[in-house]
Amino acid sequence: MSRERALLLGAAVLVVACVVVPLASWADASQQSPLARLSNSGRAVAAKQTAFVRQAHVRRVSLLAVRGARAYYKVDANGTCFGAGPAADVGELGSVDCPRGPFPTADRPVLDFSIYEATDRGSRDFSVFRAEGFAGDGVSAVAFLRPNGKVAFTVPVRENVFATTSVAKGPIKGLAALDGTGKEVWRSP
Amino acid sequence: MTRIALLLALVGVAACVALAQPSKASAGWCWPDCSNYGILNWNTTTYNGCWFRSGAVCSGWAYWSLNGVSKTCYPGCDAYGNTTGQILYGFENSDRIRGRFTVRSGRFYISPGEVGMGGYLRAQVTWYAGVSQVNAAAIG
Repeated sequence: MSRERALLLGAAVLVVACVVVPLASWADASQQSPLARLSNSGRAVAAKQTAFVRQAHVRRVSLLAVRGARAYYKVDANGTCFGAGPAADVGELGSVDCPRGPFPTADRPVLDFSIYEATDRGSRDFSVFRAEGFAGDGVSAVAFLRPNGKVAFTVPVRENVFATTSVAKGPIKGLAALDGTGKEVWRSP
Repeated sequence: MTRIALLLALVGVAACVALAQPSKASAGWCWPDCSNYGILNWNTTTYNGCWFRSGAVCSGWAYWSLNGVSKTCYPGCDAYGNTTGQILYGFENSDRIRGRFTVRSGRFYISPGEVGMGGYLRAQVTWYAGVSQVNAAAIG
């Protein structure tokens, strides 16, 4: 092969790489983006003066959804936080999570707000008292997993929120996110 | 003279009632103290009768209104703020322990009503996996 041809071939490979690699990354990002997106921006509500609101610098509280007796919020307080409280008293934040780093992400599309319970001091097996939380757009349901990895029960996600008090008894040791086709798109641990 | 004796008796009764009740508004608890972080791992304990004998820190009994936990990146976080340490934070009584799990670094607040509990409780932070560096504080 002549020197010219070798240079030409090298240049062609470089051009192809320059086009294909960004396209592949873009396609990959596009595929993952629904998991990392939270379309529901909610509606602004007035925050009740709870201990948390007094201590944190709450700038804005948005009601994302009401499920049964519970209300779910996105909270702007020195970063993005998520909260929940009684639906009978909209704006009252009974709990708030202010995780460092973004949410949702493809790496962690579910923020589990569930309440876990143990009644046996000799065991660290926890069951679910109430299942609830937040999930990215690409998550259609959240599955709660037994210690052996099998699904104990699933909770549908609507408006980026999942919630139910109808939970199966027994130990829970993980979560999985399912897309609209029921395919598992994320699991923890 | 009778009026003064009656007043003194009333003050005495009021003082007895007030002292007999657990403190409600002024209660406070911090771990390891109110300005530092402590390591919570499988053998951490506050030696005060928490639900789990080890791998747990808890307050004394009181009418708590809020439990707040600050969890750092120690010993490390990924790009999204996830740590390798998993904790349960919430409340406990003599029948059960309830709370939320997290592996995230950040700040977390929870009130007893959120875990379906009320009355005389302990605020708790419990180890579940790995190592976490936390500061916990509860107010009544």
